[in-house]
Amino acid sequence: MAEMDINGQVEEAARRVQVRFVTKLKPPFKAPPTSIAIPSNLTRLGLSSIVNNLLKAGKDDWNPEPFDFLIDGELVRMSLEEFLLAKGISAEKILEIEYIRAVAPRKQEEPSLHDDWVSAVDGSNSKFVLTGCYDGLGRIWKAAGSCTHLLEGHTGEVTSVCVVNPRVGQDGADQIVATASKDRTLRLWKFDADEPSDQIKRIRAYKILHGHNASVQSVAANPTGDMVCSGSWDCQIALWQASGSDTGDVVSVKKRKKDAEEEDPQVEEEAKSTLVGHTQCVSTVVWPQDEAIYSASWDHSIRRWDVELGKDSLSLYCDKVINCLDVGGEGSALIAAGGSDPILRIWDPRKPGTSAPVYQFSSHSSWISTCKWHEKSRFHLLSASYDGKVMLWDLRTAWPLAVIDTHNDKVLCADWWKGESVVSGGADSKLCISSDVCVL
Amino acid sequence: MKVPRRSARQKNLQKDAEKEEAINLLEQKENTEEVVERSKDEETAVEEENFVESPVVSDDDDEDFSDDDGSLGESGSEDSHLSGEEDVFVSSDGEDSFDAKSDDVSGNGASGSGRDDTEHGKDDDAESDDSRTVVEESDSSEDEVDPRNTVGDVPLKWYKEEEHIGYDLAGKKIKKKERQDKLDSFLASVDDSKNWRKIYDEYNDEEVELTKEEVKVIKRLLKGKAPHADFDPYVPYVDWFSWDDSKHPLSSAPEPKRRFIPSKWESKKVVQYVRAIRKGLIKFDEKPKEEPSAYLLWGDDSSAIDRQGLAYIPAPKPKLPGHEESYNPSLEYIPTQEEINSYQLMFEEDRPKFIPKRFTSLRNVPAYEKAVNENFGRCLDLYLCPRARKKRINIDPESLKPKLPSRKDLRPYPTSCYLEYKGHKGPVVSISTESTGQWIASGSSDGTVRIWEVETGRCIKIWELGESVSHVSWNPLPERPILAVCMGEDVYLLNTGLGNAEEQKSLEELLRVETPSTPDDSDNDKTAVNWIQDDKHGGIRLKHFKTVSSVEWHLLIHLLSKKQTQRIPFKLHGLPVSTAFHPSRSAFFISTKKNIRVYDLLKQKLIKKLETGVREVSSIAIHPGGDNLIVGSKDGKLCWFDMDLSSQPYRVLNCHPKDINRVAFHRSYPLFASSSDDCTAYVFHGMVYSDLNQNPLIVPLEILRGHASENGRGVMDCKFHPRQPWLFTAGADSVIKLYCH
Repeated sequence: MAEMDINGQVEEAARRVQVRFVTKLKPPFKAPPTSIAIPSNLTRLGLSSIVNNLLKAGKDDWNPEPFDFLIDGELVRMSLEEFLLAKGISAEKILEIEYIRAVAPRKQEEPSLHDDWVSAVDGSNSKFVLTGCYDGLGRIWKAAGSCTHLLEGHTGEVTSVCVVNPRVGQDGADQIVATASKDRTLRLWKFDADEPSDQIKRIRAYKILHGHNASVQSVAANPTGDMVCSGSWDCQIALWQASGSDTGDVVSVKKRKKDAEEEDPQVEEEAKSTLVGHTQCVSTVVWPQDEAIYSASWDHSIRRWDVELGKDSLSLYCDKVINCLDVGGEGSALIAAGGSDPILRIWDPRKPGTSAPVYQFSSHSSWISTCKWHEKSRFHLLSASYDGKVMLWDLRTAWPLAVIDTHNDKVLCADWWKGESVVSGGADSKLCISSDVCVL
Repeated sequence: MKVPRRSARQKNLQKDAEKEEAINLLEQKENTEEVVERSKDEETAVEEENFVESPVVSDDDDEDFSDDDGSLGESGSEDSHLSGEEDVFVSSDGEDSFDAKSDDVSGNGASGSGRDDTEHGKDDDAESDDSRTVVEESDSSEDEVDPRNTVGDVPLKWYKEEEHIGYDLAGKKIKKKERQDKLDSFLASVDDSKNWRKIYDEYNDEEVELTKEEVKVIKRLLKGKAPHADFDPYVPYVDWFSWDDSKHPLSSAPEPKRRFIPSKWESKKVVQYVRAIRKGLIKFDEKPKEEPSAYLLWGDDSSAIDRQGLAYIPAPKPKLPGHEESYNPSLEYIPTQEEINSYQLMFEEDRPKFIPKRFTSLRNVPAYEKAVNENFGRCLDLYLCPRARKKRINIDPESLKPKLPSRKDLRPYPTSCYLEYKGHKGPVVSISTESTGQWIASGSSDGTVRIWEVETGRCIKIWELGESVSHVSWNPLPERPILAVCMGEDVYLLNTGLGNAEEQKSLEELLRVETPSTPDDSDNDKTAVNWIQDDKHGGIRLKHFKTVSSVEWHLLIHLLSKKQTQRIPFKLHGLPVSTAFHPSRSAFFISTKKNIRVYDLLKQKLIKKLETGVREVSSIAIHPGGDNLIVGSKDGKLCWFDMDLSSQPYRVLNCHPKDINRVAFHRSYPLFASSSDDCTAYVFHGMVYSDLNQNPLIVPLEILRGHASENGRGVMDCKFHPRQPWLFTAGADSVIKLYCH
């Protein structure tokens, strides 16, 4: 029927292409694998409506769903005809079009208000979102608008946060997080994520990491969760012991406040080791594998450090200041970085002989503050920019998949949460959660 | 005409030898007649002086015409001669010819045949000689005998008292003759029968006796008849002129003056003029009117017409064509092939314009080869086009540009603005970057000083100082984050509180003023600065006596640790505008409105004086190498000084249309910038080479726009990021912008 409809509408206008829709999606999204002839001037929207019609034919109570289409591993972003022409694909044969659910937020949660700019967010644990704020507090959010814990102690603005053991603490207990601040310290916090709470619980850091000579810009934990590394304005990367009090030299400091006696003793600790080599502020550190730390710096370089040797094993030079870095994608090896220009660059360090970026995405209009790979997907990543927008990218197309512009000021941080939401915080003191993104 | 006539006549005379006698007679008669005529002339000359001239003129004319008549008449008389008629009186017109005749004849007569008339004797001969010469000389009718007396035509009464009557030709006096008394003369006249024929010639003082013929002539004249008896005034008129078939007038003689009829209207005009002159309407000034030598150069064109400055200078006339321009010149004009070849070696200007050529006939002459070209040229004249196309030098304009490297090769440099620092409520007057580049401080005329985080644009600290801030400056040492703020007469040293605990502690100590030091200061009147603890803002307040215009950090001038101030021991001419420290040596730069002085702080003396040549210096900046200096001025000029080169600017960049407010050098990149009231900041590439022989390379890179104008002020300050090729600009629109590469 749908076929007939469309035939009636556009028959005289366009050529027809024989296509067959295939998918890796689960049954409710599976369309019958018959080949049909469709007009070749259809765009993604037209294709999506055809697939929806096909699915509706199989199931009566079908809610229309946006789809994205892949031909030979590339997303269709123009009309089918132009696409075939550009790629040199013959229109004579039956074309196999794979469809996936469109990656775009379908729901915007209520913004979670902070007292000051939201400078950092981490959503690597699916049970909570950790944010750092310019008022010097870290916050744990269970869901949009429901703050459970308040991390008190920093005397300066929190610049970066990270969940130290996202997998260890799947049960929720003994969840460790780390925060870095402009007061030149890092603090480690421990809390129980599953603990039901009616009111906001204030917690204190169990460990204060001293050693940096300038503001700490970034913190990252290793996958096993026993080490934390941090980058700072003093051009150094420091490695810290994260796991509790089992280390030998524990210095117990007396709490200044007598009335808070129920608190755990706070431990101050020095850096285990430092990685020296950057000449300017280390803006981001990432620790995706146990043996390698990636760091980005204002001296225009991206380095990979061998943790055991303490030396850099790879340097990539960009001619811009780099503000953010993430490693992920195919084989967890692609390096995405953004900096003092509106271009998101992606390097493949495995590619020999060249240090040119393999992908460049330039839809932003201001500095890029954050980029994050999706945990599971090889293709998807997000970027946040000072122009107030969060963009979702697929490596298979040069256009952004979706643009989230719920913020009305600079977006300072963003992350994936639970694999299907995007959390972002900005200079408008809001934490925005855009859910139902449907990656995979 | 006369010569052949005369010779013919002579021949005739030789043939007619038998007629000698008659002719002799005739000659004598003629002589006497002449004497009579002369005396008559004299009389008329004496008596009627007025009419001396006009008869002469008319005589001349008469003779001109009568000549023709004479020739005709003469031929007639000749005929009569031949016929042998005994006619004594021939027409007077034939005189000269007959004189010549008589010349010969008389000689013959004197030698040969004797004379019947012997009374006259020698005297007569001499007289005839005289008259002959005279006649010979006078060809005209003014037939005066050259008088022996040479006194001329003077009144003879002048000589009345003298013994002489005059002078002869030799200049000797001519004595008066013995004068007979009246009685003797009467008796002599009674005795002499011929006395009635004698006339006294007063002029020559002699007696002249008239001949019978002369008397006859006189008688005829008295009767009013023609002097010659045989002259027939009524000869029948012979019309010699053939009126019928002549197309052209025979005579080409000019119109005689006697035919002139004076114009009545002209004479009336003359009368008018005469009257005007008498009345004084026409004046003849002796002094010529003085022409003004200077004239109004920029006056109207109409007035320029009647000025006499440039007279028309006629073009020189071209040479008339000669033989060589002929179509068929003779062979000597034709140049040989060698000559033609040699023309090619000559200069183009010296080459002959025209090379003669030979054509056997006019038919072979080709058409003028430049005819079309010249016609075209004249047409161009009509269209007011230039005839000759000016030969332009064929130079690619690109090649005239100085060879500057392309902007692409000079990256990185700030190009676009991504970050803005908003929060000030008044024009941001001054900004300063912290040495690591993490913070910037800004001072505004709304009385606040703010510290911003560069990365995010967040304001992290605000001091309300309550007075318009004129300058802010960070301590260049990163471990001592002190901010110096100058406003009005005070300099505040503010603790930014950005260090860690120990640093903060040391800072607090540093910024504490011991109380005993203040009385010391107050004792000394000469100290220009008071150090006062400012508890409210947690800093030190330095009280100056004069308005502080700018403050610059160095380790010495305000010795923070000792709380002392070194007074600059130099005398300045004019108000100091901007100051700067040498980046490596202990030198100090102070600029006044016109000049820049460089002082050595250790030796405390003037090292150098730089002359800017601009209207008013607004700011200076020193290259991190220390040998180069840029100066921004209020007339929009940017001067680059090479201190090793000279005290004059190495290069002046006239880029801004309005005042330059601030110039800045980058600490590590070869960049410098200028910010101006025209709401733009210019970024330049300024490469200083370590090779001293190589001049600095200055390339303009980028114009940074974006600021809005506020009260005529644009970009008030610009500072480079200490480590990145970024430029901060502070605008009068209370916004700070960061331009990134």
